[in-house]
Amino acid sequence: MLLVLSEEHKEHLSFLPQVDAAVVGEFGRIALEFLRRGASPKVYEGAARKLCVPVEMVQHGVEGLMFLMTESSKHMISEVDFLDSVLVLGFSEELNQMLLQLYLQHHSQIRSILSHLPSSVPAYHNLEWRLDVQLARRSARQQFIPMLTMRVHLTRSDGHSDFNSRILQTDPSTLLHLISTLEAALAAMKTGHARRILRNIK
Amino acid sequence: MELSESVQRGLQSLADQSVFDHGSFQVLVDVSFRSLLSSHGDPTVLGQPEFKQIDQILLKQSHTAAVTFILEAVKQNADQSTISSSLEELTFSAERTEIFYSAYQKHKKDLERLLASIGRGLPHITDASWRLEYHMKNGQVDKVNDPFYLISLNTENEGSSEDINFTCTVEQLQDLVGKLKDAAKTMEKASQM
Repeated sequence: MLLVLSEEHKEHLSFLPQVDAAVVGEFGRIALEFLRRGASPKVYEGAARKLCVPVEMVQHGVEGLMFLMTESSKHMISEVDFLDSVLVLGFSEELNQMLLQLYLQHHSQIRSILSHLPSSVPAYHNLEWRLDVQLARRSARQQFIPMLTMRVHLTRSDGHSDFNSRILQTDPSTLLHLISTLEAALAAMKTGHARRILRNIK
Repeated sequence: MELSESVQRGLQSLADQSVFDHGSFQVLVDVSFRSLLSSHGDPTVLGQPEFKQIDQILLKQSHTAAVTFILEAVKQNADQSTISSSLEELTFSAERTEIFYSAYQKHKKDLERLLASIGRGLPHITDASWRLEYHMKNGQVDKVNDPFYLISLNTENEGSSEDINFTCTVEQLQDLVGKLKDAAKTMEKASQM
């Protein structure tokens, strides 16, 4: 599939052929850095001063690159489709190849960044457990209650490396019930129904 | 068992045949266990016809004393000899001690559970539900095509319930189940010691 670039997007990118290849390379690096860690406008000011161009021009150039990279990574377009899509920009062959390399080298990382965006539910990261026996409490002495204490580490919904951990307990019979319930979940992956669907939706 | 003076006094009047006859003694013992287990402090439990002849202040004192004695005994996990000697010291007849003890034995498990539920604890997992989904695409990324699970752990804490929801991949769920199985194995070994 081909990307359809808007007139505005084309205009933003039209800044790229006006500068050196090294500068385009630098813009590419900045664009990826921003995708990874978020944009910082100060970088635009510094670059604009060096190149003696308005800040907006640099900003549009970098953002245009970011958008080009995220759109092509989103649809995971092929090499040929990427080159055909950027053809309308009328760039030199060298510049097109540079953009292609940028795309090919980073598309999997960009996809993984993008895939973190929509998840609003925390994701499982790790589980630690400990076997405890409750012996007494203020309201009851001489108890003997076995308990499994667990800490479930979840990655926060906004992605990245922030962890959110919950401490939970359960008793032996519920533990066995949990195991059999979750084993049933794993078994559901192996059924003919699930395999058929996984095979056919590609 | 250490008992305060007012509890001792209340139990002494409960032991007294001239205050509580055989019938009303049995009903009071019964009512005292019921106040703890099913009627949760309902004041009307003392409105039984058997109590009509009894001085209302003495009745309330004896009821309070019996309830306190029961709670203290369960809390200390008192055995038959401790209970019998305590009651006999408070002038209980052998027959009344026996009536009290058999009621105590009958309700002890439920009372233990009641006392064990008092106080702070960690959220307790009671059940889990799951859903298997196939992530095809979203607003940001096309052709994701990844199966994943939505797991919901149902927990309870001090009467309120909460669901802990998270997603995990097939490998992560295998990891989770593997760890829970390790824990179950350890638990089984520990129970055989």
